[in-house]
Amino acid sequence: MYKFFIILFTFFTTRAFNQDQGIISGAFETNANVFLRDSSINAINTPQYDRQFFGGEAWLNLNYSTKDFKIGTRFDMFNNSNLRNPTDSYSGIGIGRWYVQKSLGQVEISVGYLYDQIGSGFIFRAFENRPLFIDNAVYGARVKYNFSDNWNVMAFAGKLKNAFDTYTGNIKGLRVEGFVSLGSDESPFTLAPGAGFINRTISDENMAGVIDALRTYLDEDRFIPDHNVYSGTIYNTARYKEFSIYTELSVKSKDIFYNPFAMKKEIVGNSTGKLEQRAGTVFYGSISYAKGNLGINFEAKRTENFNFRIDPNQRLLRGLVNFLLPLNRQNTYRLTARYSPAAQDISEMAYAADIRYKFSKSLSAALNYSDIRTIEGNALFHEIYTEIIYKYKRKWQLTSGLQLLSYNQEVYEMKSEVPLVKTIVPYLDLLYRFSSNRSLRTEFQYMDTKQDFGSWIFGLTEYSIAPKWNFEVSGMYNVKPKKVNSKGEIEKIFYPTLGIVFIKDSQRYSLRYVKQVEGVVCSGGICRLEPAFSGFRFNMTATF
Amino acid sequence: MAKKYIFLTSAFVWMIFLGGCDEIPVKLADPVIPDSERVVIIEELSGVSCPNCPKGNTSVDNILAKFQGRVAAVSIHGDFLSKPTAKSKFDFRNQKAKDLENWFKPWFGKPSASINRVPDENDILMNSIPDLWQAAVEKELQKPHILNIFPEVKFNSDSKTIDLNIAVIPLESIKGNFNISIFLTESEIIDAQTNGADIENNYNHKHVLRDMMTNFDGDFFGNDLNKNEILRKTYSYSVSPAASTLWKPANMEVVIIIHHNEPKDESVIQTSYLKLIK
Repeated sequence: MYKFFIILFTFFTTRAFNQDQGIISGAFETNANVFLRDSSINAINTPQYDRQFFGGEAWLNLNYSTKDFKIGTRFDMFNNSNLRNPTDSYSGIGIGRWYVQKSLGQVEISVGYLYDQIGSGFIFRAFENRPLFIDNAVYGARVKYNFSDNWNVMAFAGKLKNAFDTYTGNIKGLRVEGFVSLGSDESPFTLAPGAGFINRTISDENMAGVIDALRTYLDEDRFIPDHNVYSGTIYNTARYKEFSIYTELSVKSKDIFYNPFAMKKEIVGNSTGKLEQRAGTVFYGSISYAKGNLGINFEAKRTENFNFRIDPNQRLLRGLVNFLLPLNRQNTYRLTARYSPAAQDISEMAYAADIRYKFSKSLSAALNYSDIRTIEGNALFHEIYTEIIYKYKRKWQLTSGLQLLSYNQEVYEMKSEVPLVKTIVPYLDLLYRFSSNRSLRTEFQYMDTKQDFGSWIFGLTEYSIAPKWNFEVSGMYNVKPKKVNSKGEIEKIFYPTLGIVFIKDSQRYSLRYVKQVEGVVCSGGICRLEPAFSGFRFNMTATF
Repeated sequence: MAKKYIFLTSAFVWMIFLGGCDEIPVKLADPVIPDSERVVIIEELSGVSCPNCPKGNTSVDNILAKFQGRVAAVSIHGDFLSKPTAKSKFDFRNQKAKDLENWFKPWFGKPSASINRVPDENDILMNSIPDLWQAAVEKELQKPHILNIFPEVKFNSDSKTIDLNIAVIPLESIKGNFNISIFLTESEIIDAQTNGADIENNYNHKHVLRDMMTNFDGDFFGNDLNKNEILRKTYSYSVSPAASTLWKPANMEVVIIIHHNEPKDESVIQTSYLKLIK
């Protein structure tokens, strides 16, 4: 805690001695959950349901900046939180981040906990995603040199953050980015090329873990592990008139990673999953066209052996050095977002296409298609999504469409002998404005499926009194249930949500009573199992 | 402009230079395990609906084969992913297994195993990486042997009772409070097991915890044990009529552990195991 006061002291002394008074800004966010045990939806058997009953988190960011100087800190608190492990409780309080940044002419120096990325993040991305307890900041130093307005180079070195500690391995990298204009004013042609390089060195402590595992392998599966991995990427955005083309090619030298699908030879028979040391690649390209009322975007990505961690002994979301961009559509409606795939790092071939057309001021339509397979051709995910938006003056707006989807639960959720989940989801969203500050929004979705939990129906009504109040009532009902509950019965269960949101200036308060079905939560291409929730959720955000 | 190209070229050369470096190869050498009578316990959290658990079972099998007579195993089928599959004939869940599974929390998932109930650097008893269990067992086997357990078991097949006599001799004086836990396990149970994307109908389930002759967290054994002072305990257990039709005594083992019973230390100091029927 003393660090927090040191940083606060630095803030104010810096202000006092600096003629340029600068700007103090910040943001506060808190979640508070009250857990109400409900065995009918499997909201049981976690410390929060069994004995703690309350869990929450809070973050406070404080930043101070002048023309060429920035400092900042972040207070983090986890109090019986289920974010780190949804089936467990985690508590911790401390300084989650601090940084100091100074510009000296063409040079920019930063130290502390730093967020950054190279290209699309295939070889390196240090980022924060609070709902998934991801905070992969690099604790170290970074120097950026601006050769000109268009060209710069950045180099950094440090360790990867692990909650209030750091992983023991080291990471360093380099990025060169630029901008070149080749065309004329009438016929502009621009390039935004870049290249990056990352070196990760496994610590002796982590290597001991790798060796301990390899010692148990038979000769067929053993390898001599290397401490270092080198990864490079080149990327470019080319723009010519209405066309934009982005390409990125990333390679990784032989790296140790856990392959959950690899066959491991045992004394008797085989088992699945082992450490491997292989080189990896990611190839990604997108082409987009936008002119008048038409917009088209096409993307393709091929990923092979690109699991990249600071410590090969880490699993799931821990210790990730990079970020693999998901190509599927990021849906927002409750039932259209129910089955969302995580980007696969061992073997994936993905395509996506998006077409939008505006027929008139009041009518527009969109079609999205995505197909994800393994490189070997096994189907993982397939989605066709249509959307029609009709606006009638400023009085009402209708959004409607159909989603057709298939989803491989065996791969994404490690479920055994389950068929591909195939769903058809028609949806409708109607917004009606009574006056300039009062409106009613209703949502209706129906998911037809014979797999997993069976068919669902979802409805929502949201009444807004702008700019301060928002009231919502929603319900999700398992109309044709397939799953048995904890009592071993197939039951039609209703999952209601009641919520109220209050907004004042830059503050937002929300309180909800929620019953939420268990499932897989995916955010930014990463998924994990989320147990059922039953209870109250309070959220507050404030910026200043 | 020239400066820019010089810098970019030197950076590229730096990358190639680093990428071309050869490391001195590491050695995959096994540690030296002292020859002693110390026996270690693996308490594994498993489940018949757990796709990754066969990997944990295999790891335990390999350890038992490598350190014969030096390691005992208990496979705990509690709540999580332990519900029988659509093809299962039996339900391995029982109250003691559920209580133990909860007692071992926090753990990240299954399979997980605790080796002698020694916590890791994060104060967590359960290790969720089966490849690393052997190293943890080796570390425990390297520790000094400080206590002997001499068990004697009699199973009466008519009355379905198990009588267990235990004599314990500390080889040095040991301070603290100690509990004893006694597990009844069964192997060679052929039933369904989820394995990756498949369900294996004829999976050989081993060391399945059937019940305990003590409380799930152990019974009080003693405190401040004195060197060479013999301590004796007697336990009797009646197999329930329902269990007696299911369990096969010929495939059962009695596993005994003496462990610390302190708020921050539950570690096992010695394990002993023997067949229910010789």
